[in-house]
This record gives sequence, structure tokens and C-alpha cells, in this order.
Amino acid sequence: MTNAAETSTRAAQASAEVRAIHRRMLRRQRLGRAMTYLLGILLSLWVLIPIVFITSMALTTPAAVRSYPKSVFPFLPFSTATMEFFLNSRGVLPGITNSIIVAVITLVLSTLIAAPAGYAISRFIFRGRDVFRLSILAVRAFPVVVLSIPLAVVFLRLNIYDNLFSLAMMHTALALPTTILVLSSVFASIPYELEEAAQVFGCSPAQAFRHIVLPLVLPGIAAAAIFTFVLSWNEVFAASILAPLHNRTLPVQVLITLDESSEPYQFAGGFFMLIPALIFIFFIRRYLFNMWGQITK
Amino acid sequence: MSAPSSPKRRRKRNWAPYLLILPSIVYLALFFAYPMVNGLILSVREAGALLTLHGEAQQLSLPTGQLPRGAQVSILDQQGNLISQDELDQANLVTEIWFQTRGQDSTGETLEGWAPGTRIRVRETNESGAPVSGTVRPRIGSDDPLTFIYAEPNDNSEIVGSLEVQTPVEILDQVTLEVWFLVRAEVEEQTEEGWVQSRYLQVFGDGTQGRVSRGDTGQFTTRYFQQMVNDRFFVPALRTTLLLMVIIIPIQFVLAITMALVIQANPKGSGLFLYLFTIGLGVSDLAVGIVWYSIFTQLGYLNSILQGLGLIDSPITYLSATKQYWILIAIILAEVWRATSIVMVIVVAGMQAISREVLEAAEIFGAGFWQRVRYVILPLLRPSLQVALILRTILAFQVFAVVVVLGGGDIVTVLANETYRQYYDLRNVNVAAAYSVFILLLSMFTAVFYLRAVRTQEEVGG
Repeated sequence: MTNAAETSTRAAQASAEVRAIHRRMLRRQRLGRAMTYLLGILLSLWVLIPIVFITSMALTTPAAVRSYPKSVFPFLPFSTATMEFFLNSRGVLPGITNSIIVAVITLVLSTLIAAPAGYAISRFIFRGRDVFRLSILAVRAFPVVVLSIPLAVVFLRLNIYDNLFSLAMMHTALALPTTILVLSSVFASIPYELEEAAQVFGCSPAQAFRHIVLPLVLPGIAAAAIFTFVLSWNEVFAASILAPLHNRTLPVQVLITLDESSEPYQFAGGFFMLIPALIFIFFIRRYLFNMWGQITK
Repeated sequence: MSAPSSPKRRRKRNWAPYLLILPSIVYLALFFAYPMVNGLILSVREAGALLTLHGEAQQLSLPTGQLPRGAQVSILDQQGNLISQDELDQANLVTEIWFQTRGQDSTGETLEGWAPGTRIRVRETNESGAPVSGTVRPRIGSDDPLTFIYAEPNDNSEIVGSLEVQTPVEILDQVTLEVWFLVRAEVEEQTEEGWVQSRYLQVFGDGTQGRVSRGDTGQFTTRYFQQMVNDRFFVPALRTTLLLMVIIIPIQFVLAITMALVIQANPKGSGLFLYLFTIGLGVSDLAVGIVWYSIFTQLGYLNSILQGLGLIDSPITYLSATKQYWILIAIILAEVWRATSIVMVIVVAGMQAISREVLEAAEIFGAGFWQRVRYVILPLLRPSLQVALILRTILAFQVFAVVVVLGGGDIVTVLANETYRQYYDLRNVNVAAAYSVFILLLSMFTAVFYLRAVRTQEEVGG
């Protein structure tokens, strides 16, 4: 009886101790969680606030853009006048068209060239594979500044200077390393056994690829293509060196007319160039990690 | 990575992967290797090269001196020399035609040899337009009735005979010769004399004066690099580039690791955090420049907020030539804002590779949060951090549009901007190429430096 009572009090003590530890851990965890949220929210604000600023500048009247001090509340008065002013400025619509043309050519070209290479890296072990991967990485880090000047000279000599297609070829070269790495990780995420099984059931390797692999990798390929599009849309140095005259892309147009343009024009332009980033990064954010996870392997 | 599981693939040499990577190899060689070599050549090869003078009117004769482009020369003599068919489209080319003729001289003997085209009037041509016969022309302004016939299409060669005016001749062949000029010029109080091809000269007046219009040799020169180093923007550009790099990269790494830890803690809404933190990856440096310009411009948000809080009475001008440090601060904030995301993505990818067991073990053994970060996470992240560091450093040499937008292009300038200025504003391709080669060397140097530094550290640490 006493024994039992002793045991029960000891158990009660022990459980109280455990509960205390548990409580302390919970508190600690809650504190950690709160800290995480605090940091997350602070960092999010750091990212968000400038975006809110530029957005509210772009979506208001030019008069409000020029006013001072600016209203703390964004989007007041809300108006599309500034954006319309920007879009109707000389050279802007052609610039947008050119940007889209270059970006589309770039994404088609780079997907066509990169997909086989990505497939090869992920599916075959061959001599030179590591060298190939390493050199792609080296090329990825290569300064675009270094390439543009000599390419401009070559393009002038070949009479394809100031030309959208040659600019797209340059952008393809810039996008290719990233695209190859993303696509190889996308292919690698599809087990080879699926392909093999299809072949066992009588598919040719090409058919197995067409019917089994392709549908599975399409989202990944789309993500890589979107990333390529954004890269080309954003690229300004090579574009301003290679096509600065009659085929300006949007960033080049904005950059070259920067000195003589007004603030509403500049802010609307900045916002407009930001839009693809805001939309597309949302869709491809998962794949960004695929791509960079590769590198440190 | 899924390795091929079929043993058959391994046994015999499979060409499929090589065929699959071939297009990208060709493409990258074309657009990376070739321009790189080309850029190097542009930056060290003399474009407005010197013109080599020759001892005789022949390419293979000994050089007697050199003339720079633009030198004024007096022309003393001229002589034709053979030229290959595909060089005939050169600019400034002065040519002469010689005919191989056969005719009878005054003694009735048949004479065969070469006569200059100016002394033969072509009378008949065949269906393809080539001359077949003609007559000897009188020499204008001279009373010498005879025309010399030479053994070779060259008036220095042996004279085999002479023909009288109006002698009918058969034309057997014709050649086009490029004229060489014997020129004399004063260069730096020295007289240079020698033969040059007509293509390198602009001849004017009565044919006794000329000017060297281009060179013939692209020899090695450090002129463009000297021009780059002596440019008044070079030192500020280099200093600013390095300064920005040294300040921005540590801030980015601290921020990126913090972001990665937040995401790794996987709170509710981490998807949203992830999205916000990666936005910078898709933002161009031009757009980010404009975004931060809207904050730092005189009537911008920073002044509005400060005035709203009553901290200032009238707007401050931040981005002006007298306040370079404000421009630098704006550039730093903009670059940190935009380019932290790429470091973050690499770090998160690296963190995902750290196994949960390791972290839990550390926690069980009583490691606090900071200890875990310091002794477990950071060491395991080292490869990722190294990649991120190399990448960020190389990208830091390419900062361009942000600086143009916030720094106006010349108040605060960076190397990439100078490359652009040399190319676009000053039209000086060679100096621009020198800049780009310089940036390439810096990038390669830092990459090698980082790799070495990390390796020696590992060796020292055992």
C-alpha cells in the first residue's frame, strides 16, 4: 500500500517534471515559431514594399506621380492614365512586340537544343558526362558582358546586326546552360523503369519516350521555357549592344530613352517589366530548386 | 539521378548520348568559345595597323619601314604586280592590265611578249568578251613612236623588242596587275621610303601625293588596354565595382541564409514566403533600378515618408553628383533586393540535401538553434555556399542597368557600364573588348581564388 502510494507520488512527480520539460519545450518551440514568422514577415515586407510602391506609381494619374509628398495609401487616385501614357509613347509598343518575339524564339530554340542534352545527362552514363556538366556550369557563370562586344563585331560582319533573330540566338546561348540543367533534373525525376516497362510491353524507345516520358515531363519543360522567357525579357546588356537601332526590345527602349523621359514613363516602364516576374515566378518556383539542387551534387 | 539500369547500355559504347549533346556543344562553342577568342583578338590586335613598306614591289621583299595610318606620302614611282582573282574587290585598288601579244616588228620578225594595256587598242573580242586582237596605240605626249614589248607583264623585265604604232597584234592572254607605289614620307623626322600596294593608299591630285588609308598587319598591341587603364572612368569604375561587391555579397548571404532558415522551418504559409523570396530571380536589373529610383528620387517615397513622420521639412536630393554615397546606398539596396533570391535558392537547395536525422541528432544532444546553425548547417552547406559565392561574385562584375538608372551613368560608374559606353557612345570597339576581357580575367581570377581558398582551408583543417 505504502509502496503503491510512493510509486504513485513518484510517478506524479515524474510526470510533473516531464510536463514541465514538455511545457518548456513547447514554449521554446512556440518562441521559435514566432521568431520564424516574425523574420518571414519582415523579409516579406522587405520584398513587397518596393513592389507596392512601384505598382501604386504605375496605377495612378501622372499628376499624382509628380505630386509631393506622396500619399501613404497606395493606388489613390486609381487610374490607368500613367500606364496608357507609357504604352502610347513612341517605341514602346514595338519594343514590347520585339521583346516577345525575341523571347519566344529564344525559348523555342533553347528547348529544342537543351532537351536532348538534358535527356542524355539524366539517362546515360557516358565518358565525358561530368566534363560536359561542369563546362555547362562554367558557361552558366560566364559574363554576358564578355560575349556581347565580339558578337556584335561578328554580327556586323555577317550583316545580321541589329536583328531580332540574331539577338534571340545570343539569348539562347545565355539560357542554354540553365535550361539543360533544369531539363536534366526534370528527366531524372521520371524513373527509367517506366520507360523500360513500356519497352517490355512492345514500345520502341522513341514510342516509350513519346507516350510515357513526354507527358510526364511537359510541366517541367514548360517551367524551363517560362524561365527562359523571363530571362530573355529581362536581358538588357546584350540587347542594347546587339540591337540598339531599329529593333530595340522593351528594356533597351526604356534604357536608351531614360535620360529624356519623365518619371511617370519610367515608373510605368519599370512596373511593366516587373509583371512577368511576378506572374511567372509563381508558377515555376518549385522547379527553381530542382535546377540549383543539381549544382552542388 | 537515375542511372541507367540496363547492363546492355554499359557494355558496348553507346553513341546516343553524344548525338544528343552534340547540338548544345556546337551551339555553346559557337556562342561562347568563338566570341571569347574573338574578343581577345579584338582587344590586343592593332586595328588601325601600321603599313609595312617593302624594298621591292613584292610582298616577299624585305620590309624597309612602317607608316602609321593617315601618314602623308609622296609617290615617286609605280609598278604593277600580280594579284590573285579574289583580292580584286579590295577598296582603293589601282590596277593595270597587261596583254600578251604577238605581232611583226619593223624588220618583219614575229615578236611575242607582254605590253601594258594602255599601249594596245583592243579591236576584236571573242564571245566571252576576252580580247583577241588589237593595234598598237601611240604614246600620248611623247614622240617616241615605238612601244616596248616585255618578256614578262612587268616593265622591269627584259625588253624583247619594240613595235611601231598601228601594228596589228594578236592578243593571246591578259593579266590584271595591282599597282605598287614607291612612296616617301617623313615620320617623326625620319624619312621612310619603300613600296606599298595601292590598296593601302588614297591617291589624290595628279598622282604624286597620297595618304595611308589603312594598315596591312594586325600586330599585337597593348594600346587598347593602355587606353582603357588611362581612361578617366576606369579607376572609379573598378573601385565602385569592387566596393559594391564587397558590401553587397555579405549582406546577401546573411539575408539569404535567414530566408532559407525561415523556409526550412516550414511554417504555415511557407509557400507564400517562398514565392515572395524568389521574386527577385525574375526581376531585371533595369526594372529594379527604376523601382528603387521611385523611392530615392527627390519627390519619391523615402522623402514622403520622412516628411510624413516630421523628420525633414523639405525633400532631400539623394541621387546627385555631390552625394555619391547615397547613390551607392541606393544601388546596394537595389542589388540586395533583387539578387539575394538566387543565393537563397541555392542555399535552400543545399539545405534540403541535409538529412533530417543529422539535425535531430544535434537537437537531442542539446545543441541550441545557434549551435545547430553554426556547427551543423553551415559546414554542411559549404559546397552550396561556395557555388553561390562564385556565381554572385561573377554576376557582381556585370552590374549594369541598376547603376545607369540610379547613378546616371557617369556620376557612379561600373566596369560593365564602361564597356557599354566605349561601345555605344564612343564607338570604340577595341577598348570595349579590352574592358570585356578585363572583366573575364577578373571573374576567372576570383573563381579560381575561391576554389583554392576553400581547398587550402580544408587541408589545413585536416
